[in-house]
Amino acid sequence: MLETLYNLPFHILVPPNIRVRRFSIPLPSAMAVFSVVLLSYFLVTGGIIYDVIVEPPSVGATVDEHGHSKPVAFLPYRVNAQYIIEGLASSFLFTMGGLGFIIMDTIHSPGKTHLNRMLLTSMGFIFILVSFFSTWLFMRMKLPSYLQP
Amino acid sequence: MNRSAKIVNSKVAGYSSLITFSVLLIAWIAGFSSRLFAVIRFESIIHEFDPWFNYRATAYMVEHGWHKFLNWFDERAWYPLGRIVGGTVYPGLMITSGSIHYLLHMLNIPVHIRDICVFLAPVFSGLTSISTYLLTKELWSPGAGLFAASFIAIVPGYISRSVAGSYDNEGIAIFALQFTYFLWVRSVKTGSVFWSAAAALSYFYMVSAWGGYVFIINLIPLHVFVLLLMGRYSPRLLTSYSTFYILGLLFSMQIPFVGFQPIRTSEHMAAMGVFVLLLAVATLRHLQSVLSKNEFKKLFLVGGLLAAVIVFIAVVILTVMGVVAPWSGRFYSLWDTGYAKIHIPIIASVSEHQPTTWFSFFFDLHILVCAFPVGLWYCIKQVNDERVFVVLYAISAVYFAGVMVRLMLTLTPVVCMLAGVAFSGLLDVFLQEDSSKRIQGSTNSTLDADDHEESLEKKSLYDKAGKLKHRTKHDATHEGGISSNLKSIVILAVLMILMMFAVHCTWVTSNAYSSPSIVLAFHNSQDGSRNILDDFREAYYWLSQNTADDARIMSWWDYGYQIAGMANRTTLVDNNTWNNSHIALVGKAMSSTEEKSYEIMTSLDVDYVLVIFGGVIGYSGDDINKFLWMVRIAEGEHPKDIKESDFFTDRGEFRVDAEGAPALLNCLMYKLSYYRFGELKLDYRGPSGYDRTRNAVIGNKDFDLTYLEEAYTTEHWLVRIYRVKKPFEFNRPSLKAKERIVPPSNFISRKNLKRRKGFIRNRPIVVKGKRTLK
Repeated sequence: MLETLYNLPFHILVPPNIRVRRFSIPLPSAMAVFSVVLLSYFLVTGGIIYDVIVEPPSVGATVDEHGHSKPVAFLPYRVNAQYIIEGLASSFLFTMGGLGFIIMDTIHSPGKTHLNRMLLTSMGFIFILVSFFSTWLFMRMKLPSYLQP
Repeated sequence: MNRSAKIVNSKVAGYSSLITFSVLLIAWIAGFSSRLFAVIRFESIIHEFDPWFNYRATAYMVEHGWHKFLNWFDERAWYPLGRIVGGTVYPGLMITSGSIHYLLHMLNIPVHIRDICVFLAPVFSGLTSISTYLLTKELWSPGAGLFAASFIAIVPGYISRSVAGSYDNEGIAIFALQFTYFLWVRSVKTGSVFWSAAAALSYFYMVSAWGGYVFIINLIPLHVFVLLLMGRYSPRLLTSYSTFYILGLLFSMQIPFVGFQPIRTSEHMAAMGVFVLLLAVATLRHLQSVLSKNEFKKLFLVGGLLAAVIVFIAVVILTVMGVVAPWSGRFYSLWDTGYAKIHIPIIASVSEHQPTTWFSFFFDLHILVCAFPVGLWYCIKQVNDERVFVVLYAISAVYFAGVMVRLMLTLTPVVCMLAGVAFSGLLDVFLQEDSSKRIQGSTNSTLDADDHEESLEKKSLYDKAGKLKHRTKHDATHEGGISSNLKSIVILAVLMILMMFAVHCTWVTSNAYSSPSIVLAFHNSQDGSRNILDDFREAYYWLSQNTADDARIMSWWDYGYQIAGMANRTTLVDNNTWNNSHIALVGKAMSSTEEKSYEIMTSLDVDYVLVIFGGVIGYSGDDINKFLWMVRIAEGEHPKDIKESDFFTDRGEFRVDAEGAPALLNCLMYKLSYYRFGELKLDYRGPSGYDRTRNAVIGNKDFDLTYLEEAYTTEHWLVRIYRVKKPFEFNRPSLKAKERIVPPSNFISRKNLKRRKGFIRNRPIVVKGKRTLK
């Protein structure tokens, strides 16, 4: 009975001869996934959600002793507040440090010359150190008593 | 040959287990001792706000027994409503410390329950690091696990919630979280009912301990779902998830506070949907193996259509009937980040619900914030079932941590795990070489600076001995290896960075996270001495000694738990913010004029009002700074009476000086905070009435209170307590007889001797404001 119901439209229509493949989503490559994740990590650690909710100015301004106003990139002493630009700068440094570690790891892969390895290692190394020390400087700007008893 | 290999193997295994044991032990001890700053500096005391309630409930349970506790109706909170404590609390914390107390007393070790509560979180941090080790070991390697364990032992993001004295749910819940995840990963790997039942049991403990269990019951289904999408279905997955889901569901419904939520609220629906989906996929897989291709196709079509229609109708009917509750506000604010700001001021008012800035990420995680994407990279590159899990965990936790500062706590464990993976991968590259033994020998002997890193490094050496795959790879690429000098420099630098990490952690713990916040300490910059302000306890002690046992005390909700815990008096609102309108009523009383708030206070039977005032010492967390939140919350419920814009100046500023808005200068909170403050000269040269917190001379200096009177003010004016007068007290202001103005009367009595009515002799004559004459 069901059979006749199914065949009803096919008295008029001629079914095309197609092959239906099994439903599957093509998996994105590991590198693509990682790039997306890293980008979102960059944004989140830069406090993008804070920027969206609180809507701080991108750069602040103070008045110096002569009465001129000058731009300030960092909002000092305020732990739970930031300007947009400082968040982006420091999350850039975080990401750079992460990339440094990844570059250090890639010297592991075969098919590289000695010089190449040397350069890669020093590059990753410099990345890590630069990001580490400039983040440390940022901390000192934000919290002048950082690491002092 | 075979035999000697066995001996070597067992020797290596012996060493490696010895190293594992000692590293975990050291991590435990280091984690425990770095959490003791507060105890050593101050005393063994419960911190902050929520821990005071937990402590009070635990003490009640220990005193009265478990069943009494379950049925405890607390009439001293939320006057006049009361609170059913047994049904509105996650009892895991109380049960844990209660049973430790019971055990110790059975062994005749008399420990006060307070000390157990104070030291519970530090002790559990060691368990957390062990379960992190186990989880990371399942995901990657034992070496990475040891790194992760040492990281989590001292990382500030976790210490912030688990210092000694911070007796809160999170302290034990992070252990339960990590352990549940470990058991889950193990059960997915093995597909055994035993492990998934164990995961469900551990999930039960988590449900009993913390509301964050919702994270588990959404993350695990997400893992299953993504595995299905990736085409990684296996019977192991079916076994483990269905066992876990059914048992976990049943267990979680045993907690009175959770009750029927797991089958009724939207937060839990994802788990159920994934369960149905998994069953459908499994059925189809099974039918596919049984039926022929043609039959299967037909069945797939018909069955699919039918199932879709049934599910759709069921969801519609359930939603219309209101069986499935929509998302609660707290969860909704996680997705729509602006939601809380607009609709639920009470959630937005808590400082730990603010969105996170870059500073918190670095402050709480330091170098791990860089190493975290690296570990993620390793996991994505060499993906398998359980690494999918950790990737999902990482991504969701990063997002949540960005939305709320408080959820840095759930991010921290996964950051530690992935950073462990990253560092162990790095050392894999730079320590594994033919000459690696020499290098390691030298680094080991020269770098005794940090126990952890050193032993971890040794550990990763032994860990690699078993990994033949890596070695062959290395042998093949050996001809182009980098020089050993460069390697040792890199290793040294990495160890230096790790040492800086340890220094940072200790500094942050000591300076930022070890303040009990009921005892304030500040450094005197001139002579470097440390001053202690104990005003809070002074005030609470005064309350407990000088007020009637059933006195009702009104304060803002932040101090409710402390008043109940330390002063043992009835409060109107407290930190369990379940009744928004009641809080709004208190907010309205605080932000109205004295007259209007007196009506509210009499209707709520208030006897005393307690305000926190920081203007004398410059304490910024006082009630005037929180005042706008009171106004907002009150406005949410009483939009006609209270308007936030009234409390700002014309230019939209919130200021307390002479230019401040009149509504602010005359509201109850302002008057209670600044009563008699105008007479006070803090500085010899400065003006009187100078508020140090807001750096302004107050606007309304000279006023009197009609309906309240000052009862007590602590040494540094931090806590001020006022007594609410009874109606008969202020109706007749007590004037001295001399000051009394009697209207002159030229009334002459017309009564003479003849026309005189009778009078009562010796009738008492009532004079207002005076005792009756006898």
